[in-house]
Amino acid sequence: MTSSIFMHPATMFIVGALLLPLAKKMKIQKVWLVLIPLVAFIQIQYLPESFGKVDWLGVELHFGRVDRLTMVFLHVFTLMALIGSIFGLHVKESGQHFAAWLYVAGSLGTTLAGDYLTVFIFWEMMAFASVFLIWYRKRKRSIEAGYRYLLVHTFGGLILLGGIFLRYQNVGDLTFDLISVDHATVADYLIMIGFMLNAAVPPIHAWLPDAYPEATVTGAVFMCAFTTKTAVYVLARGFAGFETLTILGAIMTLYGVAYAVIENDARRILAYHIVSQVGYMVCAVGIGTEMAINGASAHAYAHILYKALLFMGVGSVLEMTGRSKLSELGGLYKYMPYTMIFTVIGGIAISGFPLTSGFISKSMIITAAGNNHQLVIMSMLLLAAVGTFLSVGIKLPYFIFFGPRDSGLKPKEAHWNMQVGMFMAAFMCIFLGFYPDYLYDMLPYAVHYHPYTSYHLTETFHLLGFTGLGFYFMVKYLKPHDVSNLDLDWFYRRGAGWFMWFANKPVSSTNEWISNVYKNIGLRLTMALARALSWFDWEGIDWALDGSARGVVKGGEQVRQFQTGKLQHYIGAAVALLFIVLIVVVLV
Amino acid sequence: MIVNFLTYLRERPGLLKWSFVAYLVFAIGFDFFADRSHAHFWGDHLVGFWAVFALVGCLAMIVFCKGLSHVWLERDKDHYDK
Repeated sequence: MTSSIFMHPATMFIVGALLLPLAKKMKIQKVWLVLIPLVAFIQIQYLPESFGKVDWLGVELHFGRVDRLTMVFLHVFTLMALIGSIFGLHVKESGQHFAAWLYVAGSLGTTLAGDYLTVFIFWEMMAFASVFLIWYRKRKRSIEAGYRYLLVHTFGGLILLGGIFLRYQNVGDLTFDLISVDHATVADYLIMIGFMLNAAVPPIHAWLPDAYPEATVTGAVFMCAFTTKTAVYVLARGFAGFETLTILGAIMTLYGVAYAVIENDARRILAYHIVSQVGYMVCAVGIGTEMAINGASAHAYAHILYKALLFMGVGSVLEMTGRSKLSELGGLYKYMPYTMIFTVIGGIAISGFPLTSGFISKSMIITAAGNNHQLVIMSMLLLAAVGTFLSVGIKLPYFIFFGPRDSGLKPKEAHWNMQVGMFMAAFMCIFLGFYPDYLYDMLPYAVHYHPYTSYHLTETFHLLGFTGLGFYFMVKYLKPHDVSNLDLDWFYRRGAGWFMWFANKPVSSTNEWISNVYKNIGLRLTMALARALSWFDWEGIDWALDGSARGVVKGGEQVRQFQTGKLQHYIGAAVALLFIVLIVVVLV
Repeated sequence: MIVNFLTYLRERPGLLKWSFVAYLVFAIGFDFFADRSHAHFWGDHLVGFWAVFALVGCLAMIVFCKGLSHVWLERDKDHYDK
């Protein structure tokens, strides 16, 4: 048992995180930051199929369940932890690395969990650790966004927990396996909603574009990789074949991309675009065929790498210039050429250019929808692909690095470690494009799909080329403006404002009015009543009781007259009394 | 080196434009020779279908999203702080 806990890759990151301050003291923080994820990346290859079963209060917790679906996610998660840690090497604050690694540990723990309770524990650990990646930005906006992020995730966590408890009551078992569509109950749907919140499925997606752009530069690189993709994993594990997911996923792809077209902040564009990309995966999970699940896993793998690459590229620009708004950037290719090349590689990979990872992964999902004769879904996914190239493939790099105007900024090229991180991700994007079998061999089911067919190529040539033509026609109209756009977070951001207004204005002023009424009328009334009662007591009741009270008062007054307060009088009186007593005793 | 090359290209927008047009012509030409045996629906059989889809989709998306932003969604950047 003890050994199997140490076998768990999450332990590696938790212990690694706990020892970080020590590593910093010994001045080996940078080595440590590379070493731990590297060891974890190698270690996951040697995990047994099942480990870490613990009996806890009569419930069996299962910390390690490994199969092919788990492995592909573990592989990319640990690889991403390595790339992200290298990208963040220059960050001196151990706290950020600590939060990032706990977050990674939460994600790995969820991926390996074989029962719902373990899922829940690691699920909450992810939410709790990741909020620090927002707060470490230390701006007022980030602190506020972090609180909103935490509240939304707590809400989602409670729905998940409610579903888990109900399920336990219904089934008496917490094993985390595929739920059949035909026998799904309210409990299962609650669990699904909990998972969907983390996958940022509209209408419960707004936490993502609200929080990610406010995170630290390295924080955002980690966050874009883990939360949503862990959610895709748990959905694929538990809810493959639920048609709701197909429809919501297809809507997601267009919803996210629509905002990516209009947003101005580069990191917000990318954040909205996560919604779109995760939509492909959620849709594939909903389709649920072997090819679709393969597609969802492959796309998660490829997406983590190119989205992180884009966040690294834009993060480097933010780190070096302090700006992330497209309207304030432009012409940076002269000063940050390597960052530009890496970002463009991310952009073409996400758009699915041939010989990049997007080409070999996204198309699996689209083909799976086509094979399933879901033509509307397939067209929505293809339209989202058009929007992807438009917003992230062209608009983002164009307005940052080239653009109609030069921003006049002359930043230095990104730190060396940031470039290494970007290089690794960019290498993987291209490597997977050239050698798709590296990824296909890892997928849960055997792959009978060949991406490089002449038809897929011509379709891609057209989609990309004519989207480019559309951009060329409309580039003036696409010029970014420094505004923000409303989204569904309006309900809780304005809603909270209304609640506060309601508490401040009507509730508080009613309260004040009532206390004024009490002070002016109530208090006087009480005093008058007290006086009346006192008079009644004095005159009425005493009269009724033959004036005994008045008699006592009068008697007391007279007795008081005797008490002079002089000691000689008291002694004299006492002696006189003694004489009287003696005389009475002797004579009687 | 890359910087010089890109600056060279940026100074010659005509060259960029004509290479792009050449690429589009190539893409349409390539479409005539593609193998359509695995088509999913009628659109897959039409030459240039995806070109029209992409161009119309792209323009419609820009007009729709930008328009929606302009008339409804657009707010000051500190909208929620007020």
